[in-house]
Amino acid sequence: MYGNTLVENKKNGKSLTEGEDPVKLTEFEARIARGEKIEPMDWMPEAYRKQLIRMIEQHAHSEIIGALPEGTWITRAPGFRRKLALMAKVQDEIGHGQMLYSAAETLGKTREQMLNDLVSGKSKYSNVFNYPAMTWGDTAIIAWLIDAGAIINQVTNAKGSYGPYCRALDRICSEESFHLKYGHDNVVYLATGTKEQRALVQDALTRWWTPIMHFHGPPDKVSEHTAILMKWKVKMATNDEMRQKFLDEYVPKVWDLGLVIPDPKLRKNEETEQWEYTEPDWEEFKRVINGDGPCNKERLQVRRWAEERGAWVRKALINAEQKYSIPLA
Amino acid sequence: MTKSFDPRVNRMELPSNDDGKEVLDKQENWETYEVFHQKKRGDQHIHVGIVHAANPEMAILMAKESFGRRRQTANIWVVKSSAVNATSYNDQDIFETTPEKTYREASDYYCMDRIRKYQEEHGIVNRKEARRKKKEAEEK
Amino acid sequence: MNYSGEQLKAIKEFLYKIADDQLIIGHRNSEWTGLGPVLEEDIAFSSIAQDKIGQSLHIYELLHTLGEKDPDSIAFTRDAKDFKCCHLTEYPIGGYDFSLMRNFLFSHSDHARFEMLSASAFEALANIAKKYKGEIKYHIMHADTWIKQLGNGNEESRAKLQAALDTCFNMALGIFEDSEYVFELKELKVFDGENILQEKWFESISLVLGDSNLKIPDKSSWKPEYGGRKGQHTEYLQPLLDEMGAVLRLDPKAEW
Repeated sequence: MYGNTLVENKKNGKSLTEGEDPVKLTEFEARIARGEKIEPMDWMPEAYRKQLIRMIEQHAHSEIIGALPEGTWITRAPGFRRKLALMAKVQDEIGHGQMLYSAAETLGKTREQMLNDLVSGKSKYSNVFNYPAMTWGDTAIIAWLIDAGAIINQVTNAKGSYGPYCRALDRICSEESFHLKYGHDNVVYLATGTKEQRALVQDALTRWWTPIMHFHGPPDKVSEHTAILMKWKVKMATNDEMRQKFLDEYVPKVWDLGLVIPDPKLRKNEETEQWEYTEPDWEEFKRVINGDGPCNKERLQVRRWAEERGAWVRKALINAEQKYSIPLA
Repeated sequence: MTKSFDPRVNRMELPSNDDGKEVLDKQENWETYEVFHQKKRGDQHIHVGIVHAANPEMAILMAKESFGRRRQTANIWVVKSSAVNATSYNDQDIFETTPEKTYREASDYYCMDRIRKYQEEHGIVNRKEARRKKKEAEEK
Repeated sequence: MNYSGEQLKAIKEFLYKIADDQLIIGHRNSEWTGLGPVLEEDIAFSSIAQDKIGQSLHIYELLHTLGEKDPDSIAFTRDAKDFKCCHLTEYPIGGYDFSLMRNFLFSHSDHARFEMLSASAFEALANIAKKYKGEIKYHIMHADTWIKQLGNGNEESRAKLQAALDTCFNMALGIFEDSEYVFELKELKVFDGENILQEKWFESISLVLGDSNLKIPDKSSWKPEYGGRKGQHTEYLQPLLDEMGAVLRLDPKAEW
């Protein structure tokens, strides 16, 4: 969901647990099955460690990159209430990034390495943020529906196996509730406002629907490794399951406002209780995530700009005696 | 450079140095400090996470906003991660028999039966029984 | 407290000046959100920006009770010539050295001003000043820590801060431009005057700068950048206001 979440696997047909001590592996899996958490410094299969680092790191990157299209509109927010709320929301996203990097740091990767990998393009982040927030209407849709998608994901994964990630997600969930309310409030005011305001938000919804449908990642039938990742409680639900949950909760709310979702096939099948929809363009998803989106280059260049411009501040205060220590929890 | 939808970006001079070099050196984000947060006077300080900081004064500044900006706060401690001594999860078994030592639990103590037996044998009035009988009589 | 027409004019102009300063510097500081040198500092600087904008809102609300328009209209639809902010607040964010130094100089003036206002005879204003004491205390704590640490950091950080101080100082002196109503404000015991404020400000910044290996420009070179209080602004203010009002002005009567 936050990028290419799948660990490079078996180029040579090796399983994810090849070479791991079978006794330790059994104990490890039994602990997880009992519902106990894995904590920093616990024994863990290398694939588990790698997968978690990648997932948490890319989640963190998504937060701080996500702050860019939304942060765009802080200086143009209409009125004090929206201005202050948007500032607080974007600030929260940076805070969430900070908390998530901290969780990944407990697994032994440094924050510097993670930020370097982000800027170089090696690590990915949520694809939605490679699209531009063109109008104020866009920020309303993003704040409501993208945050909604993220919350569904976060609430689900907060029940996962890795202690530090779960604790970070719990804290994130409690802050996100205002984001969702703010986003929804914003969309409601626009949708129920003047003709122009309504057109603004409808236009944004139309343009953002495909990225929103992409948000929870490729369909299950093309996602590998789901089985073992779910056994290890790294993934707590499949992509399609989360997408269904999102549609179930939010499509009715969009329709409550009389807004049009640009998918004539979209409907809930009352018998199967599953939402049916036109499969979004997964080729576009692949292209964009591999660098060919409207904003990929700009996002990374801005991040590079920020890090480079701040280098003198950081370097001036480096203490010669400082020691590296993995955070505890 | 194509115009961005972000006016801030249009004010930056992009592209910056795009030579692919790493932007951060080793430990350029300094050290980490564990943060302990007290909600109200009288509460315990609770561990809430870490901040990266160059020194304790900065760690306090950072912790105030990272952990005190969205919740009620009375006080904050910061301690270098490297200064914390912790047990190892490999040694979690040293705590294993703790819950079994019920002789330290109030719930392990029950002697009502013993009192009753003695009272019955020696004609001492059981107060609870007496109250119950009195109540029954009043209800009739 | 019942004020006469002329007295009310004096008070309103005073309030506009304070709130406009807070709004514009808060707006400038908010441009750093997501772009700071370290994540934790990004978060902290954004809080400081929110605080200042929140304070400006409170003062615009007070102005509204005195007969002025509602805060959104005041802030988002006036043009540059109607603003009373000082030049210091208007300049673009520059590098972090400029923004930190600007914030340091401004926050110390804010701190001294609000301390004086806590004793103001205009009760509503005194209450506002007391309410925000804690926030401003943190702004000073933050600013002082960064100035001291970077001033004493390495040669590059010291030189950058010195250059920023040299650039900002005359702009900062513009904070203390006197109003034509200085006498009325003093008489009404609303505010004792910008000259007294400037002295207090100078004393407190000198202490910190002294500990930071930084030199205050010599008095002989002081050339305060006045004009802001009389509606004469830098070339940067109108574009800032255009951007700030870009969405609201699409339809000022709509509810956003």
